[in-house]
Amino acid sequence: MAKKLWHLILVVVPVLTLVGCRPAPPVARLMDVTMVIADVLPEDPSDGVWQHAPEFTTPLLPQDQVEPRQLEVSTREIRVRAVAAGDHVAFRLEWDDPTLDDQPGHEDFPDACAIQLPAIAEPTLPAPQMGESGQPVEITFWTAAWQATVDGRGTTLRDLYPGATIDHYPHEAAPLKSDPIAQREVQLRYSPAHALGNWMAGPRERSVEDLISEGPGTLGPGPSADSQGRGQHNGDGWSVVISRRLPAGWDSARGSQIAFAVWQGDRNEVGARKMRTGWINLVQEP
Amino acid sequence: MARVYNWQIGRDMSYWYPESRPEKQFAAVFDINKCIACQSCTLACKTTWTSGKGQEYQLWNNVESKPYGFYPLRWDLKLLDMLGEQQWDGDQYRGQTIFEAAEAGERVLGWRPEERDFAYPNVGEDDCAGTIETGADFQIPHLAWFFYLARICNHCTYPACLASCPRGSIYKRPEDGIVLVDQQRCRGYRECVKACPYKKVFHNPLVGTSEKCIACFPKGENGLQPQCFVNCIGKIRMAGSISRPEDAKPENPIDYLVHIRKVALPLFPQLGLEANVYYIPPIHAPTPFLYQMFGPGVAAAIKTYRSAVDDMDLAGLLTLFGSSERVMPRWKREGDWTIGLDEQDQEIVRVPLKEPVYLRGPFDEKYQVARTNCP
Repeated sequence: MAKKLWHLILVVVPVLTLVGCRPAPPVARLMDVTMVIADVLPEDPSDGVWQHAPEFTTPLLPQDQVEPRQLEVSTREIRVRAVAAGDHVAFRLEWDDPTLDDQPGHEDFPDACAIQLPAIAEPTLPAPQMGESGQPVEITFWTAAWQATVDGRGTTLRDLYPGATIDHYPHEAAPLKSDPIAQREVQLRYSPAHALGNWMAGPRERSVEDLISEGPGTLGPGPSADSQGRGQHNGDGWSVVISRRLPAGWDSARGSQIAFAVWQGDRNEVGARKMRTGWINLVQEP
Repeated sequence: MARVYNWQIGRDMSYWYPESRPEKQFAAVFDINKCIACQSCTLACKTTWTSGKGQEYQLWNNVESKPYGFYPLRWDLKLLDMLGEQQWDGDQYRGQTIFEAAEAGERVLGWRPEERDFAYPNVGEDDCAGTIETGADFQIPHLAWFFYLARICNHCTYPACLASCPRGSIYKRPEDGIVLVDQQRCRGYRECVKACPYKKVFHNPLVGTSEKCIACFPKGENGLQPQCFVNCIGKIRMAGSISRPEDAKPENPIDYLVHIRKVALPLFPQLGLEANVYYIPPIHAPTPFLYQMFGPGVAAAIKTYRSAVDDMDLAGLLTLFGSSERVMPRWKREGDWTIGLDEQDQEIVRVPLKEPVYLRGPFDEKYQVARTNCP
């Protein structure tokens, strides 16, 4: 009996000692992006309602699936909070990026981020890399350049290059000044992207664009254009709110999936050159 | 990557897409020896296509002095440095093309110019290759040289811009091989700006898309040559279409100059794009420099060009340059006349090989007046 007691002491004491010395357990990281319910969607990144939503942090991966690939890690992680109201949801994305890049110049690439959801919330998921044929994903894309325009930056060359001198544009010819239709027609002759309605060309009333994709290289205008966005740079990084409707077939009991992407302009990240996540569970708070 | 055949480098090479040649391929021949850098071509293009907002710096057509002129700065030297040794073995290129030299994760070996690189389109203009010492002008050949290089998009058979676009926003028209940026689809990623070795795709910062030379396709669809061709006062240019070498037709003026007489050569063929603007090289510049620029056929091309004075066919065809706004898909010579023809062999224009000469004396007998103010 005494021998057994000694055995018990020899086992229990070291275990208790180890327990007493081990570091405090890490704060549990959320495994899902969890939406909290609110009456109204927050539009501003500094809205107090965000404090009621749990913060989800996820590492970002370089886009190394298709050329051109992102071979170096830039933005390491993104922090996400989500608030839902009715059939719409707002996400606040935050990431570290001390350089603010919002110029659309020749060699300038703006900071940007995007969220991606399955076009239809169903158990069979599209490929996380921009969806796949027959299984589209919906993407809402925000850039700092569009945010600057929405916030009031002009859209002339002098707004980008204050020292620039422009002699004359044909659409500003004196005989056209009394005829806005003719003036517009001449302007569009030199701007086919405008004439064709390419979103890139503006005019810009929102800082986000609604897109749909069925695989890399297939990105196109989305079926709806009602997403909203607002981004703020605080000197250390970006805080961007993107709000949009929940995917078709959304079932709060089942949830869905979401993916994120971030581009750092000063690293010439654009298009496929990005940091991204795979699918992440998107759930509603119980 | 697919394997495709590039006749300009005499071998198969790697390319992003399989070989798919258009029904016709837009092509042009520029006679460098006749260019005076008046920039009429540049202005014609600028006025026609790039006078809009955000296009201020864009020159789809430019003329630069070589060896020290560039638009954008160092566009050619920088890529040649990156590409490394470019060795030819006869007519076969042994080095790597920009597709074969692409770095990991990239589609094409390229570089993106900085804004300031576009800011000085006239830098190096009329700068010659060396200092001119006293008495150098009496020395023949001249040791100091330069020449003018007029450039547009080459509407390449294997465009690097097209290969580089991850969205497939750049396409090559099947009917004429003209390479265009789809302005509805482009999202301004600028992969094409980085990839085009000739730096002939430009980003429009106010519109958010990239734009480039369209070979004036609305004119081409109506049988007319592009604006930069018809406004060339030096008459250095001829537009048309080119066949594959094995299908060359002597009655096609471009085929005749490129494939049959081999007097016109592509710009930097070693890059691997099968560029479709061909240059009659300048006869007064050093051959090693031209060899790097136009490939191994340059010495023979210059020799052929020099022989044009005794070659009525070659001289005759060169007189057709700039003689009509219409595209001349066929040509023939009849005695002292060269005739430009349409597809149905109907005459478009007739040009004499030799202009009539009129001698006027210093005194006009009919009007009893001196024609000159010196005896």
